Amino acid sequence: MRRNLVEAVFVPLFLLLVVFPVVALLFHLNPEGIRRTLADSFFWMSVKNTILAALAAAALSLFLAVGFGYYHLFKQHSYFYRLANLMNDLPIALPHTVAGLALLLAFGRKTMGFLGSTGLAFTLTAVVLAMFFVSYPLAARALAAAVDRMEKELIEVARTLGDTPVEAYFKVALPTMGEALFAGFILAFSRSISEFAAVIMFGGNLPARTQVLASYVFTKVEEGELGMAVTASAFCILLSLVVVSLLWLGKVGKQRA
Amino acid sequence: MLEIKNLVKAFNGRPVLKGVSLQVGPEIKVVVGLNGSGKSTLLKVVAGILPADGGQVFLDGKEITSLPPEERGMGYVPQRPALFPHLSVRQNLLYGLRGKREDAAWVRQVVDLMGLGEYLDRRPAQLSGGYQSRVALARALIPRPRAMLLDEPLSSLDVAIRQKLWEEFHRVLRLLEVPVLYVTHDREEAERVGESFALLVGGVVQEVDSARQAFAALQSGVSA
Repeated sequence: MRRNLVEAVFVPLFLLLVVFPVVALLFHLNPEGIRRTLADSFFWMSVKNTILAALAAAALSLFLAVGFGYYHLFKQHSYFYRLANLMNDLPIALPHTVAGLALLLAFGRKTMGFLGSTGLAFTLTAVVLAMFFVSYPLAARALAAAVDRMEKELIEVARTLGDTPVEAYFKVALPTMGEALFAGFILAFSRSISEFAAVIMFGGNLPARTQVLASYVFTKVEEGELGMAVTASAFCILLSLVVVSLLWLGKVGKQRA
Repeated sequence: MLEIKNLVKAFNGRPVLKGVSLQVGPEIKVVVGLNGSGKSTLLKVVAGILPADGGQVFLDGKEITSLPPEERGMGYVPQRPALFPHLSVRQNLLYGLRGKREDAAWVRQVVDLMGLGEYLDRRPAQLSGGYQSRVALARALIPRPRAMLLDEPLSSLDVAIRQKLWEEFHRVLRLLEVPVLYVTHDREEAERVGESFALLVGGVVQEVDSARQAFAALQSGVSA
């Protein structure tokens, strides 16, 4: 059977540009690199930092996204909503080094010096805030999309049954958006574990303290330890696959329910 | 008594209600009009879901025009039943009581009249369309609203079920003896449910003597 033009162009380009780099990386895995990486305590600390900071960033993202969802539902004409909506798009287009620098200037030594010599900068809290800054928009967008899909009559009826807007949002709207809440959390988590630039700028790359998997890979490449960098990268891919599977399972579960 | 005075509402500069005035006593007043004539808008403005651009709404002599929906004490049944999908039928029915001590005899009376007794522990998705509509009406009635607003509550059902529910809805709506504003574009439904009639055309309402007269006026308006 003859292939059409889209198949003839898309398939080879996809294989070359998306699949091949991953395969090339995995192809460079070697037993020595794996052994040395798994024996490196800094690697395990970076895994722990990545997962803990990403969980905290995703939780914070979801918390604020719930607030954004409320504004998206009830206060679309307010100036604050317009500002928040604009700011949601900003981190997507902004170089993440700029985001990191902005965080550094906002919460660094000059403004938060009373917390320590560097303010919040170069702490695990800074890593969380850097991850949050770039991942929150994804959670907010997930909630806003769910609000758009929701049957608005549910809220109208809840209001006539005595609910204030806040009550209707928490008692009726949010419980019907379970899938979006889950997706928002997982998207924010996955964006957080992949963040590098903002984390390096604001959280630094202090082994065991603020080093995350992305910066661990960077460090090992700089040190010429390609085998260890590849092993850590393969671990990142594994972690990403787990996260993507969770998202997929969430969707399948919803379809079956 | 529900009194609507010179109600005005526009969307993006396009007037939909151009000074609607209407009085509804303890009766079922059916408002008929073509699709897009502003019937749903009228109910939503009266319920407080949409703000009025002008005019006033009074309920039992008190002006409620600027009150939010939760403070108006009106029952509202939209076109789709809009049952809360995460709650059981029982929880849906008792939602408007807001944890207050329920008037058990009244709740039982409504539940029995609507034949909902055996479905109380089910989720809305497990009910047929007809029963979902019954639950939507019962849920609005149970808090004993001071007026009822129904926006083509049976329009999503097929004809056979609608015909069955007309009598039932009429009987249950009479229980409270409060003003009922019932919107429909179905002539037979208007005749079977309504006690008085009004026509919404061109953004204004005029009272008519019968559903037949209302629909005759509608048809002549369409052909004119």
